[in-house]
Amino acid sequence: MDLLQQLRRKIRSSVFAALIVENLLLIAAWYCLMEFTDLSLPDIAAISLGLSLVCVLFITYVTTGWLIQPLKVFWDAIQRLSDGSRDAAVPAAKDLHLGRELIVTLTAQIYQLAGVASRTAAEERRQGADPAQSFIAQNLPLPLILLDASETIIFANPAAARYVGLSSEEMKGKNVYMVLDMSFPSEDTFDGWLKTAKAKNATAVSSWERVRLNVRDNHPARFFDLAAYYNRGNPDKVETILTLFDHTKQYSQEDQAVSFIALTVHELRTPLTLLRGYIEVFEEELGGSISPELQDFMLKMRAQAEQLMAFVNNILNVARVDDDQLELRLEEADWPTILKAAVQSLSLQAKVRGIELRCRIATDLPTVGVDRLSIQEVINNLVDNAIKYSGDSKTINIDAHLTKDGLVETTVQDFGLGIGTAIMPNLFSKFYRDHRNRAQVGGTGLGLYLSKAIVTAHGGNVWVRSREGQGSTFGFTLVPYAQLAEEKRQNGSQEITRAAHGWIKNHSLYRR
Amino acid sequence: MSDDPSLAPPAGRSVLCIEDEHFIGELYDRALTKNGYKVTVITDGVKGLAAAETNQYDIILLDLMLPNLTGIEILRRLRDPHRSAPIRAKIIITTNLEQREDVRADIEKQADGYLVKAEFTPHELVDFLNTVR
Repeated sequence: MDLLQQLRRKIRSSVFAALIVENLLLIAAWYCLMEFTDLSLPDIAAISLGLSLVCVLFITYVTTGWLIQPLKVFWDAIQRLSDGSRDAAVPAAKDLHLGRELIVTLTAQIYQLAGVASRTAAEERRQGADPAQSFIAQNLPLPLILLDASETIIFANPAAARYVGLSSEEMKGKNVYMVLDMSFPSEDTFDGWLKTAKAKNATAVSSWERVRLNVRDNHPARFFDLAAYYNRGNPDKVETILTLFDHTKQYSQEDQAVSFIALTVHELRTPLTLLRGYIEVFEEELGGSISPELQDFMLKMRAQAEQLMAFVNNILNVARVDDDQLELRLEEADWPTILKAAVQSLSLQAKVRGIELRCRIATDLPTVGVDRLSIQEVINNLVDNAIKYSGDSKTINIDAHLTKDGLVETTVQDFGLGIGTAIMPNLFSKFYRDHRNRAQVGGTGLGLYLSKAIVTAHGGNVWVRSREGQGSTFGFTLVPYAQLAEEKRQNGSQEITRAAHGWIKNHSLYRR
Repeated sequence: MSDDPSLAPPAGRSVLCIEDEHFIGELYDRALTKNGYKVTVITDGVKGLAAAETNQYDIILLDLMLPNLTGIEILRRLRDPHRSAPIRAKIIITTNLEQREDVRADIEKQADGYLVKAEFTPHELVDFLNTVR
């Protein structure tokens, strides 16, 4: 308070001094006017009064300026602090005429208080946020992963560590795709989305359902929903946030369906093994000793058993296709050999229905890259369909040739019922069957669905041409082995494997 | 039956068939015996393992779904590298069970053959065994 007292005294003495000076000036002016001019007394009085007025005005002007100056300094200081510029310099006080020391001290004090306040606020924020943040991160019952610009994990909470089977520290610093080996049910993948978000440089949020986490060491795959947030320029270099919602129990029901199917297949196969065994014994033991009619029945029985076996394999493979388990290994093969063998194995089924399979294979075919068992099933299914839908016609043409594009094309043509245009688009859907023929023709509607999946995985195409009442032609193409070998060479891979499925791999998986 | 002499069975090769489905065992026994094999059929896992460990067989046909001890466990014990007396028999898995591909690959590694019973008639099985050396 000493400084304030000083200021008060200073102002008081200044004003007092100013008044004395003013009065002295007035007296001097009065004296000069009396002595050196011949002005009358009233004139001198008027002039003196005017002079005194000017002096008072001048003194008032100056002192007011001096008194207002400190207020301006305070004003500036507060203004600057309120802008948030904590590091702004204390306003200059050198122009101050009155109480410079006091004003400087007071201003400094204002700055000090503001600094304390801002520090306190920051501290409060920190103290308030930190425990909550770490509490959430540690105890959030959902896996939470933060990524930086290079998609490296900079934080993973304990739930994420538990889910992935690594420790939080082990996850840190690793590329997210190395830690999370994900497959998505459609083309809409996480890495695709992230790339787009980064290109747009915008905040983005997205979520995915039924994401599969591929786990090593034969552990069953896990399924989860994924939610992600992306934004550039967050504090601490965080660009992407991932949260996982586990749904393994719900989504892996198809896995359980597979084991149900596996069980069903086992129960079907055992009696089938026995039937085929007994039929063989009968054929062997009775041979030519039974009537031609009984021999014919025996043949039909064997054909039926073989058809049932093919059906069992179809069920299994459809389950595999649906579950991403059907993996094909493409190997170089002579197509005529495979085609002839497959047709040969179907001849019994055709024969018992009085149908002739006519096989015409071009001689200039290059070798193809195929998975033998799977591609045999395609031939099986197409020929089996042709037999089923042949009606009264007794011929099926099987033809293999080279297309203009250098692909090996195989066609199966029947002259039976044909297919109505209305149902053509659904032909390759699962469980789809021609309603009109349900009563006459047996089948499950799995064959074409499976054939399409297998041919597509081979890199080929399936097509159909048909006219109602005149029969149908189904065709599929295969890629020459040379073309696949080139692909294999470029990828530097040991073997060519393809998955017949609807799952799309997260493409960045093997990116380093 | 093939007439190819290379597929003819060496006289009196012994086969242990561990198969719980009695009728299948019967059919295999019939076809193999007719073709010169000496066949023993056992329908229980524990007894099957005991037989495989006490007698020397040329071939063991091993089902996977077995009572008391699974085929996978029997395979594991017969192929255990720490066994004092190694089993020299060729082990052929015969099953109708559909395995996941990785599981199947694992079993195939330890065995000398793997076949799905429904895909082989008894004679086709004999033809296959004739190629096993």
